[in-house]
Amino acid sequence: MNEDKHVQKAEEATLEQPRDTRTDTIFVPEVDITEDAESIYLRASVPGADRDAVDISVENNVLTLEAQSRAGTPPAGYELVGQEYGVGKFRRSFTLSDQVDVPGIKARVAHGLLELTIPKREEVKTRKIAIEA
Amino acid sequence: MFDLTQVQRDPWSIFDGLESLQEDFNQALSGWGRQAPWYRRRMAFPPLNVWSSNDGVVIDAELPGTDTKDVDISVTGSELTLRGRLGDETPREGETVHRRERATGEFVRTLQLPFRANAADVTAAYKNGILRITVPRAEEDKPHKIFIEAG
Repeated sequence: MNEDKHVQKAEEATLEQPRDTRTDTIFVPEVDITEDAESIYLRASVPGADRDAVDISVENNVLTLEAQSRAGTPPAGYELVGQEYGVGKFRRSFTLSDQVDVPGIKARVAHGLLELTIPKREEVKTRKIAIEA
Repeated sequence: MFDLTQVQRDPWSIFDGLESLQEDFNQALSGWGRQAPWYRRRMAFPPLNVWSSNDGVVIDAELPGTDTKDVDISVTGSELTLRGRLGDETPREGETVHRRERATGEFVRTLQLPFRANAADVTAAYKNGILRITVPRAEEDKPHKIFIEAG
């Protein structure tokens, strides 16, 4: 009885694993992350995706980037003879610290590059303390 | 005499690409993906997708966030060279780097085309981080189809 339950659970786990399908291959975009006193800057390569094809969401402090590449449409009458990159969806998630100002996040997409500016909350910004004479 | 201006050769032609594609198929069919799949293998930069027809060749290069002024395409005979420089990623003062996954620096790739191309006819367009280079085949160089007469 117990054993049956165990098997059932294992099956569920396999089904829930992410799968690659021919129509919806998911790629992990390359990112650069930097930080200064004011903000955290995230730059993600999403070649082939324009502004409308990028989706950014924050849920439970998890920032998720999604982008659909529209590149790679073969020219009519041409056949593919060499392929070094795949075309599909980009997806990547990051856990945000609770010290960032989520509503203040700004995003920009240009030339297949997604740039996010994640401001730090006012109270956590590094401040220079003047030493009184 | 040695040619000092010779460009750095990349052992890549669309036919090599075809072979590696075949390898990938074989690997996929055998079900033993010991080697990383083609999309995870780190290859020459920038990664290219190439299409071919009797009319010519179309090459797509993944170059997200690149300034087209920094990219140079040249064609000599049947050799196409793509060279360029990626954005300067030197951190500003007071900036800390946490992750640096995107490629930086300079790149050169030379492709052997299956025909002699006329440099003046080559066109390129940059859209959403993908550079598409169209290399038409000269009319006199196109393969001729021979019609078989009914006997």
